[in-house]
Amino acid sequence: MAASQENESDMDFSDNDCYDYNNYYNDDDSDVEHVDPMKVDPEYFEYRCLSEEEVERLLNESVESLSNCLRISPTLAKVLLHGHHWNSNEVIRKYKDNPSQTIIWAKINPPSPQSIMTSNYYTCPVCVTPQHVEKFSHLPCGHKFCKDCWITHFEVQINQGISTSISCMAKDCVVLVPESFVLMHLQHKTNIREKYQHFVFQDYVKSHPELRFCPGPNCPIIVHSREIKAKKSICEQCKTAFCFRCGCDYHAPTDCQVIKKWLIKCADDSETANYISAHTKDCPKCHICIEKNGGCNHMQCYNCKHDFCWMCLGDWKSHGSEYYECSRYRENPNIAHESVHAQAREALTKYLHYYERWENHSKSLKLEEQTLEKLRDRINEKVMSGLGTWIDWQYLFASANLLAKCRYTLQYTYPFAYYMDAGPRKELFEYQQAQLEAEIENLSWKIERAETTDRGDLENQMDIAEKRRTTLLKDFLDV
Amino acid sequence: MAATRRLQKELGDIRNSGLKSFRDIQVDETNILTWQGLIVPDSPPYNRGAFKIEINFPAEYPFKPPKISFKTKIYHPNIDEKGQVCLPIISAENWKPATKTDQVIQALVALVNDPEPEHPLRADLAEEYLKDKKKFTKNAEEYTKKHSEKRPAD
Repeated sequence: MAASQENESDMDFSDNDCYDYNNYYNDDDSDVEHVDPMKVDPEYFEYRCLSEEEVERLLNESVESLSNCLRISPTLAKVLLHGHHWNSNEVIRKYKDNPSQTIIWAKINPPSPQSIMTSNYYTCPVCVTPQHVEKFSHLPCGHKFCKDCWITHFEVQINQGISTSISCMAKDCVVLVPESFVLMHLQHKTNIREKYQHFVFQDYVKSHPELRFCPGPNCPIIVHSREIKAKKSICEQCKTAFCFRCGCDYHAPTDCQVIKKWLIKCADDSETANYISAHTKDCPKCHICIEKNGGCNHMQCYNCKHDFCWMCLGDWKSHGSEYYECSRYRENPNIAHESVHAQAREALTKYLHYYERWENHSKSLKLEEQTLEKLRDRINEKVMSGLGTWIDWQYLFASANLLAKCRYTLQYTYPFAYYMDAGPRKELFEYQQAQLEAEIENLSWKIERAETTDRGDLENQMDIAEKRRTTLLKDFLDV
Repeated sequence: MAATRRLQKELGDIRNSGLKSFRDIQVDETNILTWQGLIVPDSPPYNRGAFKIEINFPAEYPFKPPKISFKTKIYHPNIDEKGQVCLPIISAENWKPATKTDQVIQALVALVNDPEPEHPLRADLAEEYLKDKKKFTKNAEEYTKKHSEKRPAD
């Protein structure tokens, strides 16, 4: 976000200056390195959080520039833009090519207009009441109805949540009612007019590819980005983080379609997967029952002091090395020759492997939130007993935040791996995933047991974990 | 009420038009929002009987569409066992306040005479209609003979 603001503030050089600054800078251009931020940070995303007023201004600017460019009324420009997903260039191209057809296609004008009436009295076809011609109004299609009927029509439609798609009352007529026509009729009905304007605004934002309503509850913020990609946007007001493209929880490195498929699958299979929701497992060495009460998967039995991995129950020693294999699913190489029954069981085992890890990291994230609370108490205690100041301990919060960020990405690597085709790319992915997994568990272990003297060690671990995370995203985040 | 004036006009017009495919219109004088009448189709396999329908107009009529239901059982891909019928002209999305009831009835009669198996309410009947038209016609004729109302004399 900061970068976009810097770019906007162009520097101005006065022509009267003795030095030719432009040349001066051009000569030295080789010094200034233009680094593509995407290469440094694969999650780099330029966006702005806007208020309703700011969005209205933005929309009005597009309307004004189109209306000036094509010399058409702002009302017409607005309807054309709304009908073309606010793509000005497309509207200009179509309009210059064939103006009358573009207006018919946008349902502003009818394919064939009605004849104009001449008498002074006319019967409204809706309420069948004869009235003076002054009481009537019509759209470009020429279908005349009395103003009272138009008002009731708008009220009924607006109360059903319909706004920009309200059409003429005549049978088979597709002409749409423009905003100005509705507002003119509702000028004395403040409540319904405000409701209408609210719905119209929502329709505009939803039809605009560069705008997204913040999904946070009751949050009025609208996020704007010129880049329509599955990147992380964080609402400045309510701090909700979401994927700009689909509006759901952020899901890198998995893409929008795959995460949707995965979440539906998890919801469908929730019963099968329910058994793992139990919080307890037995120590693999002394078989005492252990409850997991922190986020770290590196467990130490309180009874026999055996170190093991919560996920695979294997010895933790093998987890720290290059050969960390716990995150990888080993497929049966002969499965194609096995019976249908065995294949079904294999499919379920495979799914459960990924689901367990997905679910476990989700739980760890929640448990680590509690760890943060405990951390706060621990820091208070230390500060009170004179062990450093509050500021000395701030690095612990930074590390806890980084841990959450890394674990979040790690959680979303499992649906990605589940849907990946077997091959060298998947092997590389699972290798990097395993590396990330190992560093995150190290970090989690260190945070839970941090003392002042460990600061350097912990910061080193933070750096390694974040590097592993960025490396994985650089290689596999494809948006 | 705006609905009353418009419905009185429409009822008078329909009664005067002498429509053959929709007759015996009965309306309770205290409640003009409910009409009953007899659909008299002229295409086989339904041309051996007549079918009682009920039209219910909402209080917001004509700004909201009427609802139609069959009171006589009918063997038809677009009309279900409860007598509900799927008619696009009176769906909430397509409804136009200027649409008149006689246009709605004409659309209904056309649907009864020419089923639309592409948008069925009863998938089993639609499949039979498309795959084995002879069997469908035979079944529908028998069903009509057994369940439908007597056709008016003229």
